[in-house]
Amino acid sequence: MLFSFNNIILSVLIGGDTIKLIINTPGTYISKSGTRFKLKNGENVQEIPAKKVEQILITCPSSISTEAISLAVEENIDLVLLKMNGKPVGRFWHSKHGSISTIRKKQLLLSENELGLTLVKEWISKKIENQTDFLKIIAMNRRDERRDLINESILKMDERKNKLNSLTFEQNIDEIRNTIQGYEGYSSRLYFEMISKSLPEKYQFNKRSRNPAEDYFNCMLNYGYGILYSQIERSCIISGLDPYIGILHVDNYNRKAFTFDLIEKYRIYIDKIIFKMFSTKKIKDNFFEEIEGGFYLAKDGKQALISEYNLLIESKEKYRGKNMEIQNIIQLECHNIANRILNG
Amino acid sequence: MLLWVIYDISDDKIRSKVSKTCLNYGLYRVQKSVFLGDVNSNALDELKIILEDTINLDIDSIYVFPMSKDELNKAGLIGQAFDKELVSDEIVSKFF
Repeated sequence: MLFSFNNIILSVLIGGDTIKLIINTPGTYISKSGTRFKLKNGENVQEIPAKKVEQILITCPSSISTEAISLAVEENIDLVLLKMNGKPVGRFWHSKHGSISTIRKKQLLLSENELGLTLVKEWISKKIENQTDFLKIIAMNRRDERRDLINESILKMDERKNKLNSLTFEQNIDEIRNTIQGYEGYSSRLYFEMISKSLPEKYQFNKRSRNPAEDYFNCMLNYGYGILYSQIERSCIISGLDPYIGILHVDNYNRKAFTFDLIEKYRIYIDKIIFKMFSTKKIKDNFFEEIEGGFYLAKDGKQALISEYNLLIESKEKYRGKNMEIQNIIQLECHNIANRILNG
Repeated sequence: MLLWVIYDISDDKIRSKVSKTCLNYGLYRVQKSVFLGDVNSNALDELKIILEDTINLDIDSIYVFPMSKDELNKAGLIGQAFDKELVSDEIVSKFF
């Protein structure tokens, strides 16, 4: 439910205790007053007690005082800066959090031992499984030739998953990296092809595109993955995993990044909410800003996406016999991985 | 739980200290000397101790009343009422 209060849009859900503060009006000045954050933009001033804030996402050009930064750090509030495309640039964090050196040491060895391959196989095959499960749901509601096409793709993707699972460890992950990424890439291509075919004609796309996104769907997807990345990185740091010591994926600077490895099995959450937004006509043209060669997500678009995302990660799902919030499931799984690495 | 804080304080300095403390604990100003908001029981204890240290116990008075959300919904709000959803913290994400 959305309602407007003092010219600020608030999205509302019953039962939340803390809020996520999202700064998306350019030129906002964030300062400290007592133990409250003071947000100022022209005439519009609001104060929010730090006790009620869980995370601050800064998604547009704004300024923040050092006092406000230390308040956030002292109160253990996660302060994240995001780029225009949703990618986190950096975050302020309490210096007491951080990787425990033994986990770090063992993490470095992951790309050379069997546990590393086991983890990667688990995550990637879970990703493919998520994709096929989602396609099966989509196929159920499509009663034309698309249903057969989707079922055909699902078979091919399952085949890749089985091949992936039958890989055995030899010496080093580097030797089979290309094979694994080949299976993953192939099934992702099929998956997005089918997703595109299932969208209303106006929104269909040719391929995944980043920097910039060439169509509305990819634009939403990139921003959504950016926010999810931030969530996974945070869970890694809390559980003592170093987000930069990865096994399979490499980042822009050719460093292996753990977050990129781990994010694979969670991407489906973003896919689902965005697909739902597009197929239930929740997308408006003013969500997007045209730039050279593609699109950026505009303020309204970010607002719509972040609201949906926050509702999703605070919603509950059955996990090991318990009803848990999705964000806590992610956190718990990170702790489990840390323990496996430590004991492995 | 929802918490009402109602005070009667004569000294300006002390009064402004009390009102700032209430704001810091996430209470919303409902009227000039009336605050309302959602706090947990730890915050309630902290708040009571801080307020006790701030005021002059011989002349000033502060009432601190906890209330459940059901009871708030039963309460009558007449005239310029506050936003029930805002004070009871039913907000997940706030955009500015």
